[in-house]
Amino acid sequence: MLVPTIGIEVHAELKSNSKVFSRSKNDFNDEVNTNVDELDLAYPGTLPRLNKEVISMALKACLAFHCKINRHMHFDRKNYFYPDLPKGFQITQKDTPIGYDGYIEIKTDDGIKKIGLERIHIEEDTCKSIHSGKQTLLNYNRAGVPLIEIVSKPVISNGKEACAYLEALRETLLYLGVSDVKMEEGSMRCDANVSLKEENSETLGTKTEIKNIGSISKVAISINYEIERQKKILESGLKVREETRRFDDKTETTILMRVKETGNDYRYLPEPNIPFVNIDEKWYNDVLDSIGILPNEMREEYSTLGISSNNIATLIANKELNDYYRSIYKKTDPIILANLLTGDILSHLNKNNIELKDTHLKEKDILKLTDLLSKKTITSKQGKEILPSLLESDENIDEVIDKLGIKSLDDGALEKIVQDVVKANSQSVNDYKAGKEKALKFLVGQVMKETKGAANPEALNRMLIEIINKIN
Amino acid sequence: MTNYLDLELKEIHELLVSKKIRPTDLVKEAFLKIEKNKLNDFISLNENALKEAEALGEVEADNIFFGIPIAIKDNIVTKDLRTTCASKMLENFNSVYDATVIEKVKEKHMIIIGKTNMDEFAMGSTGETSFFGNTLNPRNKSRVPGGSSSGSAAAVASREVVLALGSDTGGSVRQPSGFCGIVGLKPTYGSVSRHGLVAFASSLDQIGPMTKNVYENALLFNLIAGKDEKDLNTVENNKDFTSLIGKDIKGLKIAVPNYYMSDVINAEIRNKINEILEILKNKGCQVDFIDIPNLEYAIPLYQVIALGEASTNLARFDGIKYGFLSDQEKLEDMYNLTRSIGFGAEVKRRIMVGSLVLSGENADKYYYKALKLRHNMVSNFKKVFEKYDLILGPTNTDVAYPFNRHLDNVLQSFYDDLLTIPVSMAGLPALALPIGFNHESLPIGLQIIGNYFKEEVIYELASFIEKELNLDLRIGSDK
Repeated sequence: MLVPTIGIEVHAELKSNSKVFSRSKNDFNDEVNTNVDELDLAYPGTLPRLNKEVISMALKACLAFHCKINRHMHFDRKNYFYPDLPKGFQITQKDTPIGYDGYIEIKTDDGIKKIGLERIHIEEDTCKSIHSGKQTLLNYNRAGVPLIEIVSKPVISNGKEACAYLEALRETLLYLGVSDVKMEEGSMRCDANVSLKEENSETLGTKTEIKNIGSISKVAISINYEIERQKKILESGLKVREETRRFDDKTETTILMRVKETGNDYRYLPEPNIPFVNIDEKWYNDVLDSIGILPNEMREEYSTLGISSNNIATLIANKELNDYYRSIYKKTDPIILANLLTGDILSHLNKNNIELKDTHLKEKDILKLTDLLSKKTITSKQGKEILPSLLESDENIDEVIDKLGIKSLDDGALEKIVQDVVKANSQSVNDYKAGKEKALKFLVGQVMKETKGAANPEALNRMLIEIINKIN
Repeated sequence: MTNYLDLELKEIHELLVSKKIRPTDLVKEAFLKIEKNKLNDFISLNENALKEAEALGEVEADNIFFGIPIAIKDNIVTKDLRTTCASKMLENFNSVYDATVIEKVKEKHMIIIGKTNMDEFAMGSTGETSFFGNTLNPRNKSRVPGGSSSGSAAAVASREVVLALGSDTGGSVRQPSGFCGIVGLKPTYGSVSRHGLVAFASSLDQIGPMTKNVYENALLFNLIAGKDEKDLNTVENNKDFTSLIGKDIKGLKIAVPNYYMSDVINAEIRNKINEILEILKNKGCQVDFIDIPNLEYAIPLYQVIALGEASTNLARFDGIKYGFLSDQEKLEDMYNLTRSIGFGAEVKRRIMVGSLVLSGENADKYYYKALKLRHNMVSNFKKVFEKYDLILGPTNTDVAYPFNRHLDNVLQSFYDDLLTIPVSMAGLPALALPIGFNHESLPIGLQIIGNYFKEEVIYELASFIEKELNLDLRIGSDK
């Protein structure tokens, strides 16, 4: 039987303040060709500088992925001619990648699987080419943007695993705060190497490389397509050609880009302008200490708190929301808070296409709302009425409750009303004690009348029964 | 015509301070001399030089370099003057920034007279590979001035300027200094910022001062040396390199490699060197002839390492961002034609050799092997400096020779650098010092090689020899 072997190369842009070898601002999205200096344009006489923030970020990623670290490392030149490569070479790391021999854990149908990482190295991005008609335009904002290339071992078995791998990788980089990892915007790019071999064979089959995959879900589609394509070729007795193929979004197939000839000759040499970099003990430990709690640990913690698995997934998938959650969840009922954030608040954000920071929500108010709901002082229906004003206006929660005419009843106030109603309706109390359930409903109705419906029915029931039982 | 530029820097400075002359007098004299000499030693003259000098007229001469005319090799970028590297590729190239050394020169209110002729992209040792024609040797116009800093050497030798900056990768400051009879230093690698020096071989390139005497050389080196955050290979260096000038040289330990005094070297040069060694012995220096292993591999080593680096350093010249462009429909045609037309023959030859030694399996066979051998060469030199203060030998194997000698033997031109390349490979500092003339009145140069970052010891010995010989190095003085 033929089994697939898949290896994945991911390029992730690091979000350092400035570029990796120049002092230009690292922001591709600014106006075209504004974040550019003479170095990015490869003006004669310019020399690379080295941005230590980039090394720290790359190191952070390597440590999070359990890599061994090349503490004494250098950079290399990779030479080739292309208009998007201003110097005619790319500064990268060939011999001493900052990290190697790491792994990422993914969940598969057969349980947890470790996907080995061959290496992680630092390199610079090229210009962005924009082809329009016969012309090619170049945006140098991207030239020199720092990248890490993460190369997996060829141990991924299918498209689904590939997706899980990329999700896990993306999530970790995101939570480390080193990359935006948006595949759709190009801050994370992914190439997949696919080959098939006989199940018991030691040697790998001829591989093809798939480029230009625009999203994580498309990775699975393209890999599965490629597996089927190769299977047909092999089963008909033909050989797979070593080639680079492009994923085509419209047809969801892979299309031949170029046949690989005798392997590319990049004429690597050590970069003479950048001295060896030494990651000393302090630097290493500072970076290690800066790694906060990562998604898998968060999942376990949330699960222990009793948060539903759906809500856990939603929180982790929405980093801003989750960061906010983590900043306050210890001060209140974590389950109710998670419900609020992943429910009404998230749908409000999605509906208006905004982020949490764009709303008027204040910590004090969301905490109070959570408390009121948790103590069942207000109903979840009332919570829903209150929330929009907290998100959209500067009113605090008390003002909103007043405005909506919701009588927020704390336990003391409610108890007093209940006592009064019980006193005034001794007949009904006696009826209830005699076993007439209806009498309780009457009493609840009376209290509701007094409170204009602001009392939480469940809480009220409990309180009534308690108070009645105290009467001899 | 006035002759202020023949005077020593100190004397000119005193005249400026006392307002007996003005910077404009110096600039006018420089331009007149350049026009009269017709050495083709400048590619571009600074048309604003006179204006700049006029602007200085009312300012106090606050430092020794104030108002002093200087020439800059045309591979050091300047905002206000085109930088061509003597290549068609950059014939009309204007830099958007000043090199670090240019900023330092401007800070001292020196007047840049112009950008000097050179071998194209500093590749050559005769000046003959320049797109702008040959630079003539002011001592004998039928002879090459040496290279690649041809124009800087010629301009200082002919006293068209007081000071000049050159660059040295395998001997490009020292060799023309020797051929033209001036003082030229190749500093320790890492002493002077290369920011703004158009790269030839990044691990070897250094900008160096070229002057008519030792003291002025040390002064100019004081100015340009030092750490620059724009060149990661530079080191902190706040020494006064003139500090040992005039000190007693007694007890200096000097090594002379036998390799540097072999039969390959012109006999007149060897004799002159021996005369110097006798003087030094008499003055109480210890002089020993020694063997340094593997020096004979320096040239092939250089061809692999320097040309390998050059092949990638020059990849940026594709006409897309700046420089010459042969606009073509097809991308590949554009690259091919731009680089075929834009570069001269020697540059293309070196790019091809450099690409070859880095290509595929060759990288291990040649390039990475060369790096190991280079390491070995460094430790061999270090061993010498455990016992000795300085290494002495000739700068060149021969005196300035006629044009076109290397036309049918391109390899031969590398052998001009036989004695300078080993020093470059090791990253050591070395100074070319005129010590006399041959029977045709062509200058002979001594090479004084120092330990890392110990240029002050080089200057100590050089100034002693200079004083002892008391040569008149002006053109036409004919010793």
